[in-house]
Amino acid sequence: MATFQRHRLTPWLLLSPQLAIVAIFFFWPAFQAVIQAFYVQDPFGLGRAFVAFENFTRVLGSAEYYRALGTTVTFSISVALGAMALALLLAVLADRVIKGAHGYKTLLIWPYAVAPAVAGVLWVFMLDPELGLVSAWLGAMGIDWNHQLNGGQAMALVIMASIWKQMSYNFVFFLAGLQAIPKSLLEAAAIDNAGPWRRFWTITFPLLSPTSFFLLVMNSVYAFFETFGTIDATTAGGPGGATRTLVYKVYEDGFIGYDLGSSAAQSVLLMLLVGLLTLLQFRYLERKVQY
Amino acid sequence: MATLSLDALSKTYPNGVTALHGVDLIIDDGELVVVVGPSGCGKSTLLRMLAGLESISSGELAIDGRRVNDLEPAQRDIAMVFQNYALYPHMSVADNMGYALKNQGVPRAERRRKVEETARLIGLEDLLDRRPKQLSGGQRQRVAMGRAIVREPKVFLFDEPLSNLDAKLRVQMRIEIRRLQKRLGVTAVYVTHDQVEAMTLADRLVVMNGGHIEQVGTPMHLYDQPASRFVASFIGSPSMNFIEARHADGVLTLPCGTHLPLRDGSPAEIGDAVCLGVRPEHLVQVSHSDDTTLVTEVELVEPLGADTLAHVRLDGQAELLVARLDGAQHIAEGERLYLRPDPERLHLFDPQEGHRLAAPETAS
Ligand SMILES: Nc1ncnc2c1ncn2[C@@H]1O[C@H](COP(=O)(O)OP(=O)(O)O)[C@@H](O)[C@H]1O
Ligand SMILES: [Mg+2]
Repeated sequence: MATFQRHRLTPWLLLSPQLAIVAIFFFWPAFQAVIQAFYVQDPFGLGRAFVAFENFTRVLGSAEYYRALGTTVTFSISVALGAMALALLLAVLADRVIKGAHGYKTLLIWPYAVAPAVAGVLWVFMLDPELGLVSAWLGAMGIDWNHQLNGGQAMALVIMASIWKQMSYNFVFFLAGLQAIPKSLLEAAAIDNAGPWRRFWTITFPLLSPTSFFLLVMNSVYAFFETFGTIDATTAGGPGGATRTLVYKVYEDGFIGYDLGSSAAQSVLLMLLVGLLTLLQFRYLERKVQY
Repeated sequence: MATLSLDALSKTYPNGVTALHGVDLIIDDGELVVVVGPSGCGKSTLLRMLAGLESISSGELAIDGRRVNDLEPAQRDIAMVFQNYALYPHMSVADNMGYALKNQGVPRAERRRKVEETARLIGLEDLLDRRPKQLSGGQRQRVAMGRAIVREPKVFLFDEPLSNLDAKLRVQMRIEIRRLQKRLGVTAVYVTHDQVEAMTLADRLVVMNGGHIEQVGTPMHLYDQPASRFVASFIGSPSMNFIEARHADGVLTLPCGTHLPLRDGSPAEIGDAVCLGVRPEHLVQVSHSDDTTLVTEVELVEPLGADTLAHVRLDGQAELLVARLDGAQHIAEGERLYLRPDPERLHLFDPQEGHRLAAPETAS
């Protein structure tokens, strides 16, 4: 211990590469965005003017913004709940498998190693209105699939692709959570007249709640921010803005529309929104998951 | 209130391990049967088959004459106390105890009444709102008992329920379990590897070894007439002393030269060689040696208070013998000790197979 205390600098030295990365790639841009949100800038970057809260009032006064907010809420809830529910189902099934469990688990973890854009493209291929395998099946079943024209179908596509990508992450945590539940608890419950369904809802599910809470926070953040690549590679926010989420709108307004002030104001609002959401989750849910 | 009948119960696990080889046993209504044996002999397997947590590979299991081989645990009307208690960590003590009743559809008010009544019976009234995490080991053990009692099942099953408690609490809970079981009159099967616990609790004792039943009987019967060398060494503490002896015309000759006449003559199946068993408490200290005493030298003394255990060396014997002597007298290491095996309490075993030779009748 004594030797460690004498070298107060060593831990900081060891941490410094990581801290530098966080500072350069997160805090500095975030700081820049906050500054930018109070200015209007001409598209060529030649000059800018301080406008106080005008960017914010403009954003909050536009119907487009609320539409994107609505899209984001639908999208995020569907992705977070869908990815968690499916992952839990697969984890419960995998937990029962004794033979070949290892191969099965590896297969289920694979999608996590796939880049978001690649995952998106994969789904675009499968569901291509002309060439896609799945859209051909859907056509045979009488469903006319064209996500390039149909906003609802486009939304379904980005939700599915995003769920598929995140499911394996959730699966790993749920499986670990399930395996940490002592077998004797479920045996005691079986003796105590609880059938399989009841055992799951009264024993397994409550005991998984710390895992579920952690995943809810992670999945919300994922759905808000990290699905950008998937959306960009599949629908690019279309058709007609049907899949334009808040983070996609930040990109569109800033990098396509060159309205940097509005884009910066939106990203500040998005940061505040996700911060608030996480705070709420910790305040109201975390207390309930302790046992 | 139930009788249990086990007919040639066998268990082979999917990995090919045969944990039980045909167990036969009848357990009477209201009886407390203790299954005892070394670790890995199949005790837990047997209990889990009774509970319905393990499938039965072959044989018949009946509760009150009804075949239950294929019934789910919930349909057998049994309650089990697990070694690690298996309390539901996210439920209060009251909810833990009321869980089975809730699953059975017992109305809330009645459930509450039953839980409170049971809590009073075992002294848990003040802990009903706590979570398992907030209880001591002994209290958790009590909750596990309470959870079993509140259901009023036909049969109690206990799998080493006291092995996680400290020695003092173990003795206390042992007495309490015995008292409760008699008071409630519920048939119980209790598994332990601790022979003292087994002796003190059991109406009848089942000694198991390697997936077989070695002997069934009252604790005193097993103590007085062990059916095999295994049972003889397992029941009683410290363990029985064994001496390889020669036999001719109703007289045993020990390697040290001592001659012991058999009180009731020779058993029919006895051969030339025989294994003699004498318990430490049946080696009596005498003041001089004669033809029937063992001349020994004290190697180690263990004073226990009331008794003193003397570990002594006997000529021609590799292992030390143990004698239980009066604690009041002083014995020094290196001292010479004359011991006479009580002629009424000699046990004879087959030197190869280890089964009891129809030995001199003992007082029982
Ligand atoms: N689930 C299982 N699968 C395979 N073998 C098992 C299993 N459970 C126990 N066994 C084996 O069965 C034998 C008896 O085990 P057990 O009934 O737990 O013994 P005890 O409770 O007397 O210590 C042991 O050899 C053990 O390794
Ligand atoms: Mg065991």
